[in-house]
Amino acid sequence: MIIGFRTTVEGVLLTCLKLRQLPDAQLMFAEDLEELQRKIDFAGLETDLELVGFESAASTTELIARVFGKHWNRHVKFSRRKEPDPIHFIDLVLRHADCDPSELVRTLSLSEDVPSLFSGKMQLQKRCYRCMREVNLSYQRLCMFARPAFVRGILTVDIKPEHRIEDMFCRWLARKNPDLPVAVVHGDKAWIGNGHFVGLDRFIVVTSLFMGNLEAMNVSDEVEELWDVYYDSQMIDSRRNKKHAKKFQPKAASSVSGMSMKDRYKVERGISPCKLGDFFEI
Amino acid sequence: MSYVKTPNEAHKTLTERMRYLASGTKYDSCNQSAVCHAFAPDGRCIQLYKTLLTNYCSGECTYCPNRCERDTPRVSLSPDEVVKITWSFYRRNAVEGLFLSSGVIGDAENTSEKQLEVARKLRAQGFQGYIHMRLMPGTPKYLLEEIADVANKFGVNAETTSSINYSEVCPNFDYTNDVLQRLKWTKELIIEKRKEVGYGGRIIGANDTQFVVGAADESDRDIVHTVNKFMDKYDLRRPYFMSFDPVADTPLEHNTPSPQWREVRLYQTSYLLKDYGLKAKDLDEIYTDKGFLKDQDPKILLAQSNAEIFPIDINNASQQELLLVPGIGPVSASRIMQSRPINCEQELARMGVVITRARPYIKIKGRCQTNLSAFMEACS
Repeated sequence: MIIGFRTTVEGVLLTCLKLRQLPDAQLMFAEDLEELQRKIDFAGLETDLELVGFESAASTTELIARVFGKHWNRHVKFSRRKEPDPIHFIDLVLRHADCDPSELVRTLSLSEDVPSLFSGKMQLQKRCYRCMREVNLSYQRLCMFARPAFVRGILTVDIKPEHRIEDMFCRWLARKNPDLPVAVVHGDKAWIGNGHFVGLDRFIVVTSLFMGNLEAMNVSDEVEELWDVYYDSQMIDSRRNKKHAKKFQPKAASSVSGMSMKDRYKVERGISPCKLGDFFEI
Repeated sequence: MSYVKTPNEAHKTLTERMRYLASGTKYDSCNQSAVCHAFAPDGRCIQLYKTLLTNYCSGECTYCPNRCERDTPRVSLSPDEVVKITWSFYRRNAVEGLFLSSGVIGDAENTSEKQLEVARKLRAQGFQGYIHMRLMPGTPKYLLEEIADVANKFGVNAETTSSINYSEVCPNFDYTNDVLQRLKWTKELIIEKRKEVGYGGRIIGANDTQFVVGAADESDRDIVHTVNKFMDKYDLRRPYFMSFDPVADTPLEHNTPSPQWREVRLYQTSYLLKDYGLKAKDLDEIYTDKGFLKDQDPKILLAQSNAEIFPIDINNASQQELLLVPGIGPVSASRIMQSRPINCEQELARMGVVITRARPYIKIKGRCQTNLSAFMEACS
């Protein structure tokens, strides 16, 4: 028996329920039916196949309650570590570049309650937890260090995330700037948020080429120089704590934007008290 | 005082004025949150665009570089300029909001009106970011109420611990009326606004205040007792401390600067009050004879002065007892409570306990680190 499931939160939860009924079943996952068919053809499988999650089923909250019981959100409410709820947990793990959805399903089916998801007692639980943390960290770093700029009136940011979090980040940016169209560009794809300002859907994925044709109102953007002045003005030389500063302005995140790269440079080298202009003032 | 530029100020560009006024707030630590968008090159969090509205000031605070009698370049930013810069930084995701303070423009009422104007303009333009306003002592209640409608956090700096000290460092204001009364109103307004906004609505920050450490002659014991009193009376969540640094051309220019470590130790002590449930009187043993903190971790000093209660059994101790152990904080204490029985130090380390600090004060399954007296006893 093979369970073929879709790699969405609903698909994973439905498969988890199914796997509890049929613990010996094999798992196969795909983004859509075509991909699943290709996988089956490639593997030359001829056993029974049950499709799960390719048609709309119950809501995720109903499904999660069936998997973890009606008190599924209690752990998160009382968690001091501000861990994500199980729905968000699954979503984050699925976004990991090296995620194996079958492993995730097995972890969920073996976890009797929500705290065991975070306990890391089994190897599988540990791996899923690590995936969740990595995706979350990557997202938080983008929120911290990405510096969007106006491109033809659209607040645009070019990113190269390790995991599939472009849409998450775009939604965050759109929430932060509800009065502006925002765009998150990664390679040849662009995620547009608040698209209704440029005659599109509120949230849509387009090609970078198409995005090049979009234009909103003209907004001037000369912030970088002003930011440098402000950033430098906040330095207290006698309180310089390079180790602490480096931790907060990590090297790994400095490549997210030009501005954060410059900030990191100042953390490493300090701010020169002597500028070319000073010679002329003398 | 109006926003008409003086001849001295007229030729200063926006960038120059911004630099002057932003550097005037660099000692004000912002409210650290989970996601800070920027950190200053010295390591402090600068998630907010921090600025003074003006460094013109009619006050004569003895430690302040902006006191009225001091000869220093005076500049202002108009409310529109502050709004413009805030939006620019906010759009670029460089900051999460605005921290606005000011010199006293004529009187507290006039200054707070100008500050309110900035916040109102930002909100009217749809600004959803965080606004923190440091208000002048003596701000009228009606303005506090209006500010509470638009700002996420607002408050008045106490600067010191008593009326006598306050009249020495800030001779233009009255401690009881201009500061303590405002702290009380702020507390009431925060409670009221939190009820109005409800859970999940606009953030209403807790009451906070700042002390200038070392400008007056108050001891650390006085400061900690004052913080404790403010926590009980005005729901103070977190005090901020700013080390006194003598500024040339001020009455205190020849005073000794307060050492940086004093500020750090005061912060550590305030966390013992805020997060560990201790009271100021519990800490009376950690001060020197003159009431000052030593340059050592106050929690270790506290543990050393209560040596008779240690080592405590990690599997039987109450949460409050666990919190007294150096190296165990509120988070790790609650993890220990949930994960009992604990069998070894490695388990504790995984929960975030700093083992090297905690080892002399704990006992796991009857085993504890030996000390010299126990060793001698065993030998005899």
